[in-house]
Order: sequence, then structure tokens, then C-alpha cells
Amino acid sequence: MPPHIVRPQGRPAQLILPAPTNLQAPLWRSIAAFRFASLAYAAILLAVRPSYYAHWGWAWAVLAVMAAWTVATTFLYSVPARRTWLLLGTDLLVTLAALLSTALVQHPDDVKLGVMPVTATWLAGPALAWAVVAGVRAGAISAIITGTCVVLLRHLRAGDILSSTDLDGPVILLMAGMIAGYISNLTTSAEQAFARATEVEATSRERERLARTIHDSVLQVLAMVQRRGAEIGGQAAEIGRLAGEQELALRALITADNLPPPEGELDLSAQLARDARAFVSVITPATPVLLNEKTVWETAAAVREATDNVRKHCGDTAKAWVLVDDEGTEVTVTIRDDGQGMPATRLAEAAAEGRLGVSHAIAGRMRDIGGSAEISSTPGAGTEVRLRVPRSGQAA
Amino acid sequence: MRIMIVDDHPMWRDAVGRDLTEAGFEVVATVGEGAQALRIASSVRPNVVVLDLQLPDMSGVEVTRGLVAADSGIRVLILSASGEHRDVLDAVKAGAAGYIVKSASRAELLDAVRRTDSGDAVFSPGLAGLVLGEFRRLAVSPDPDTPRLTDREAEILRMVGTGLSYKQIAERLVLSHRTVQNHVQNTLNKLQLHNRVDLVRYAIEHGLDSGPN
Repeated sequence: MPPHIVRPQGRPAQLILPAPTNLQAPLWRSIAAFRFASLAYAAILLAVRPSYYAHWGWAWAVLAVMAAWTVATTFLYSVPARRTWLLLGTDLLVTLAALLSTALVQHPDDVKLGVMPVTATWLAGPALAWAVVAGVRAGAISAIITGTCVVLLRHLRAGDILSSTDLDGPVILLMAGMIAGYISNLTTSAEQAFARATEVEATSRERERLARTIHDSVLQVLAMVQRRGAEIGGQAAEIGRLAGEQELALRALITADNLPPPEGELDLSAQLARDARAFVSVITPATPVLLNEKTVWETAAAVREATDNVRKHCGDTAKAWVLVDDEGTEVTVTIRDDGQGMPATRLAEAAAEGRLGVSHAIAGRMRDIGGSAEISSTPGAGTEVRLRVPRSGQAA
Repeated sequence: MRIMIVDDHPMWRDAVGRDLTEAGFEVVATVGEGAQALRIASSVRPNVVVLDLQLPDMSGVEVTRGLVAADSGIRVLILSASGEHRDVLDAVKAGAAGYIVKSASRAELLDAVRRTDSGDAVFSPGLAGLVLGEFRRLAVSPDPDTPRLTDREAEILRMVGTGLSYKQIAERLVLSHRTVQNHVQNTLNKLQLHNRVDLVRYAIEHGLDSGPN
């Protein structure tokens, strides 16, 4: 037999990761929308209250700069690579300059009375941007700097003592900066967790695909060894038999790779396949036969006793079949061997003489789980043990 | 008898090809891929296709469906190593005439090929268990079109599932060998018909039958 090389089958490994979902994009769109809305608000204030301003024309010039900067930041912040400290710093400076220009364009009395600065709410832009880029602390720092300027603006010129209402704006600004930072942190960690989960999923899917291929290749070789061994005979037959056992074990393992059964239940088919030895063929439906754990343990033990018995009484050449037939309300497990069998009369005799030790043990196990066992034999066609396993698994 | 072997493992292609040739069968093609098998089937015209379920380019189930659709005279025998239960069952429902495992002996393989060619369903105990299980699964369906097993058919499938030969079953039930075979074949026909009806129904529901317009 030529040496066999395990070749991965199918298409080469493809790890397709979905592009990391950009959860921060909506935050930036919100900030841009906020800047435009605030700009409009500032323009309205300026238009309806020209009397507050010593230099109304210059105030409009400041507003024009703010408009230009709003457009610029919307454009600049839209690309992640451009969200640098240079941009953030410039953003803050431009905003502070616009804010402090209030001292030059507004009437000093109106500044003192608490009239909105020329920037109005527009001044919150940098605090939000800092928060989204660098988190809670950065948002707070930017908000505090801006807030300090607001307070200074009012009190350097007016020289008044701070009143609590003067602090309302800066405090709200601080809160906004910190909340935006918190949300940004959340979205960042969510994005990372999502990317990691996607990666893990793709890796395990790939591993599963490889495992299937390798399993299949190994099974192919084991089946070949078994087949050729049996043909050659002698010691080769023994090697073939061993290969057959490994084939069985590996197949049971692959079958068990499917979805785990629900809590407290087991797949009877998988359990029997795991238990089976080379001379036993376990015949099952394609869908799992789910029963409660105790029922599965007891039934599997009964099947094991029955097949052990086949080995003992029918010799090394005997074969056995275990058929699982799931009829809905109950499951029937039939164990048949191809040994000599015996006439029904001898079976009855044996029972009468108390020589049916094993079948008593089997019947006892089945009674425990509310089922029954039945033994029949035909001379020349082997012995058959039929186990009836109730679905409920409760004693009748 | 003209035979095509479809298996991507050269080791198995050679071994199966050699066994069949030595036994006097005419192996007209050995291929390693499903698409290739479908492509050349019409020109090499095999009677029997010995098909591995694990192929690199497409599933054995698809290959079976394609082969049978192109020529209903082609008989497909599944020869599989890992043989996921679901795949075997699906292949049989898609029209495969039988299934044996790769660890089966040379004599069993030759017998299976002969029987497949003569139109018999090759029911290993494993396949009997799968078919029986499928009918049990369908039994809970309220749909009146769902195929059901007669008591006799269930009894015979159970016997095949516990390793009894048709001859032994015939003796036990006092029936002719032919009758037992017909019962077994019948169960397979019912499943395959049900599968086709399902496919047609699916096609109609999804508007795949309306043709080009």
C-alpha cells in the first residue's frame, strides 16, 4: 500500500473577518449635527439681539469663522486617521478664541448680566470631540478648560463674585464631556469584543473543517488496513481487527462532536457507539435518541452485559448487532448475535434451573427504569435480546 | 457491466478498481471529483457508480442527485468511510440505491455491486437503521402525504437492522426471498418519492417552476 499523505481537502483556509463595525461613526455624526445646530442657534441669537453687541459687525465675523470651522471639523473628524491631538488642540483653541472674542464684541454690561457669549452652546464641540477620541478624562479636561474660560470671561470684566447660576453652564458642559467619554469607551470595548468573538468563531470553524478532513483521511486508512488485513489473514488479520476498533472509536468520537444534549439527557445512540467493540455493529437512526441520563446509563450497561455474554458463549468469531429503534413513546434496543442459538425449550429449562444469570441482571436493570427485557432464540439464527425502554424513564 | 468509481483517495480508487476488474467488471472511469463525475457520466455511460460521500468539490449527496437526474438508469452505490449518518440518509433519499462501509470485505463489495446492478437496494444493517429511523421521525408529522411503514415493512427493516440476511428473514417470516426484497425496496422507494415530492413542492412555493419569462 502506498504511503498515504493526509491532504487537506476542499478550498484553502479562508479566514473572512467582517470589517470591524464602526460603532463610533454615529457619535461623530451626532457631534457634527450638534455643531451645526448650535451654530444656527448662535446666529439666531445674534440676529434678534443686535443691541447686546458693541460691535455687531465683528460679531458676525466671529460667527463666520465659527461656520468655517464647523465645516472644517465635520470634514476632518470624519476620517479616523485625522483625529489627532493636533486637530483636537486646534479645535479647542479656535473655540476658545471665538468664546473670548465675546469680551471684545459684546457690551460689558451684557456680559456681566449673563447674556450668552457669541459662541452660545457651540463651545461644547471640543469637549465632545476630546471625549470620543480619548475617553472620560480627556472629555472632562476639555470641558473644564472651556468652562474656566466662560467663568473668566464674565468675571474678569465684571469683577463680581461667582453666583451659582454662573456655574450651571460649565457644570453641564463637564457632564456632557464625561458622558460622551463614557459612551465612547463603551463602544470601543464593544468593538473589540465583537472583533475578538468573530475571530474566535472563524478560527474554530476552520479548525472544525480541518478536523473533518483529517478524521476522514484517518478513517479511510483504518478501513483500508482492516480490509486488507482480513484478506491477508494471520497476523495481518489481527492488525486489521485493531484498526477496526480504532475506526469505531474515532467514529464514535466524531458523532459525539455534535451539539451537546440538553441538561440531564443523553443520546443513547452516541453512548452505545462509544461502548461498542469491534465485533458489535451499532445501528442507529440519524437523529439523536435523547433519554434521561439514568435511563441511558442503565440501558447501555444492559447492552454491554448482553454483548459480553455473546463473546462468552459464542466464541471469538461471533458478531453482534445492536439496533436502536426510536418509536416515540418507547425505544426498542435489540441485541442479536449470529451464534448457534438454542431451541426455545432449552431457554425455558435454563430459566427454570436459574442458569440465566446474565438475563436476570439485564431484566433487573430494565425494570429499574420502567422497561422490560425479552430473550428469544432460534437454532442456527442466534439469540436475540429485546430491551423496551420507556421514553419517560419513570418506573411504571 | 460498466462501472464508474468516484473517490478522491487514490488508495481507494486503486483498490476498488483492482477488485472490480479482477472480478470481471468493466471499470469505465475512475475520477476524484464530483463535478468531473457529473461531466463525464453522459459519455462513459456507467450502469453503476461507486461513490464516496466525502469529495473535495461537492457533497456526495449533490453528486447522487445530479447523476440520477441526468440518467434515471444510473444506479449509485455509496461506499463511505466516515459516513455521517445524515449524509448517508440524504444520499439515499436523493436516489442512491445502496450503501456499504469501506471496511466491508472484498466479497461484500462485489456482492453489493452485483446487486446494485441487478436493481436491488443494497441494505446494510446500518442503512436499514437509518431508513427505519427516518420513518419513525416522519411518523409524528400530521401531513397526510407523509410516507408510513406498514407493520410488515417495519418488521423486516428491524430484521435487516440486526444483521439478518434476506434469506434468513424469508425463512423466519415464511415468505419468498423476492418478497422480502420487494418490501425493503418499497421502503426506499417511498422515501425517495417523498423526497422528490418535497423538492417539487419547495420549487413551486419558491416560484422555481415558472420557467423563463
